[in-house]
Amino acid sequence: MRRHTRSRTAFRIVAGASALALMLAGCGSRDDSGRSGAGDSGTSPGITDTTLTLGITTPLSGATAGPGTCTVAGVKAYFGAKNAEGGIKFGDGKTRTVEIKALDDGYDPQKAKANYDQLKGDVFAMTAGLGTPTNRAWRQAAIADEVPQVLVMTGDPIFSDEKESPWQLGFVPKYQNEGEAMGELLATSGGEHKVAILSQNDDYGKGYVEGFKKAIEGKDNIKVVKELTYEATDTSVDAQLTELASSGADVFFNAMSITPLMISSLQKAQQLNWKPSWFLPSNTSSPGAILEPGGASAYPGVYSVSFAKAPASPAFASDEDVQTYLAALKQYGDYPDPPAFPHCQWSWMVGATLDQAFQKMKEPTRESFMEALRSIKDYQAPLMLEGTSVDTTQGDQPAVSSVVVQKYNGRGYDTVQSFD
Amino acid sequence: MGKFVQLVVDGLSTGSIYGAIALAIVLVNQATGLINFAQGGMAVLAAYVAWWLTTHDVPLVLAILISILFSFVLGAVVERWLMRRFERGDPDTAVVVTIGLLTLITGICGWLWTYNNQQFPSLFPLGTVSVLGVSISIRSIGTTLVIIVAMLLLQGLFVGTKLGLALRAVAINPQSAAFSGLPVGRLLMVGWGLAAALGAVAGALVAPQLTLTPGMLDNALVYALAAVILGGLTSPIGVVVAAWIIGVLENLAAVYVDFIGFDLKVAVPFILIFVVLIVRPQGLFGRKVVVRV
Repeated sequence: MRRHTRSRTAFRIVAGASALALMLAGCGSRDDSGRSGAGDSGTSPGITDTTLTLGITTPLSGATAGPGTCTVAGVKAYFGAKNAEGGIKFGDGKTRTVEIKALDDGYDPQKAKANYDQLKGDVFAMTAGLGTPTNRAWRQAAIADEVPQVLVMTGDPIFSDEKESPWQLGFVPKYQNEGEAMGELLATSGGEHKVAILSQNDDYGKGYVEGFKKAIEGKDNIKVVKELTYEATDTSVDAQLTELASSGADVFFNAMSITPLMISSLQKAQQLNWKPSWFLPSNTSSPGAILEPGGASAYPGVYSVSFAKAPASPAFASDEDVQTYLAALKQYGDYPDPPAFPHCQWSWMVGATLDQAFQKMKEPTRESFMEALRSIKDYQAPLMLEGTSVDTTQGDQPAVSSVVVQKYNGRGYDTVQSFD
Repeated sequence: MGKFVQLVVDGLSTGSIYGAIALAIVLVNQATGLINFAQGGMAVLAAYVAWWLTTHDVPLVLAILISILFSFVLGAVVERWLMRRFERGDPDTAVVVTIGLLTLITGICGWLWTYNNQQFPSLFPLGTVSVLGVSISIRSIGTTLVIIVAMLLLQGLFVGTKLGLALRAVAINPQSAAFSGLPVGRLLMVGWGLAAALGAVAGALVAPQLTLTPGMLDNALVYALAAVILGGLTSPIGVVVAAWIIGVLENLAAVYVDFIGFDLKVAVPFILIFVVLIVRPQGLFGRKVVVRV
């Protein structure tokens, strides 16, 4: 017979649920370790005469695992191919192979910090990790420890501000840069447009909206009719979409970083019979992973910004860069399918940019590396689109600050000059 | 008006998902006195089975039916070979076991199918239908209807069949049921199997919207538990109604109550729980458990 009373059972459910929440927050770490070289005297940790070790903390599980896995795969593929050729000739004359240690943080800031603490003694530099809150969680610590946190996948301006963040450098354009590029395209269209905005309630969403609004400021033909936010932890934005649809906007700017939510937004607007033109951030506008399942062809236009060639696009199918990259990704990046997320291309470029810095650094030290990294100008990294380049010398901009606006063509993207 | 109706229908649709999982939890609790925290995890595993079948050219409806069957067997097996030894022991131990099971299943899904989001095809088109001049999305209506039908079938089974009578007998008094010759162990397996099968239906319905990941239903599980407390552990109808209330209220509060908005809507069901636990500890529809001394 059940002898426990009803309120005890309720208590048990609550207690169990709490334990569960704690546990979910703390499970699923994976270590793809390479062997770390012990630091010789006079050199920084993570570098010997023959090897250099890089650390990555990025989401390999959870809602952002798709893009996160890509951030590791691209870097691994780049250096895997280089190692197979015998390594990289550094600025100090020695040839080294590059090892990657990647840990899973599940997009959880606390886990990212713990991963950093675990890695910082064994790696020469931290790189390529995805996520604003997760990279922010150990930014201060990296400055205190003088560990480079460079070419990370976040558009948060703080990482590209040399005064605030002497040991940091962002890789992808700032959210503001992207938002502004989209706003400008819309502002120069000439037609009257009503805009609805949905944004993530954090620095990511705010940055995008800020850039977008700056570009449409004082333009009488563009009116923002409704603005809503959602939380990064939400599992549904149906209610927001319903409210925005009733505003009658013909343009929708959706500053959203969560893949499943973006797919369900694209689906939901169709379910509501609302067919605006969409503007999407670069990290949640992948044709294969998001637009196709979201049924984006139903809309008059889907616009995004980009700086990387999309392998899926017919225009680049026979491009030499793309061929080399896809082969390496398969062979060294443990990534068999053609990549669904642009992050794979981005982290390949991160590898190429680090390679540039390695060739320039005179001493096997972190200081010398940072100096070399901050001196790369107009570098056309592999896979970069015409009109964009890597420039790390500006002091207040990420490595890539130039973008082009593109329109979805049902399979990939075409660069456009005007909004129609 | 259109906005309001759509919000309510969407709320009912998400509420149905919570409701199905809550109902599964109540079924298991009625039969064995345990709270199964792995209910959501088992549903995700079933959804993965259905998804895996669709990638091998099995038609979607058939794949979902097979996954429901798989889930039934899985539930029965888990009861027989894992939970049986904890059923008459300390309920706290059993709770820990089910939480462990959830972690295990999530890990297995991730290991077999990676943590990437998989695209699960939807049973329903993305269109809308016009009801009395208001357009409502087909998927929301479809989800709600399928769950209601599943619940009615279960209700029919429990009320109208010999098996259902036996199941209820075991739930109310396993000892007396055993003395009157009922195969208690086998009936418990059927109870767990039915609960898991219901979870599989919920999993297949929600996967197209959330995209399939190993942790897809973690959130839904928390809401389902909220519905269980709100509705009352002893009332199957009660938990479903509570789940609908939670789904609808959350949607409406965000849009129509300014100070709640989209930032605080998560708190709505939990504030409700506090209020209910203080005012009616047995839940809105539950009965007080009376122990004969």
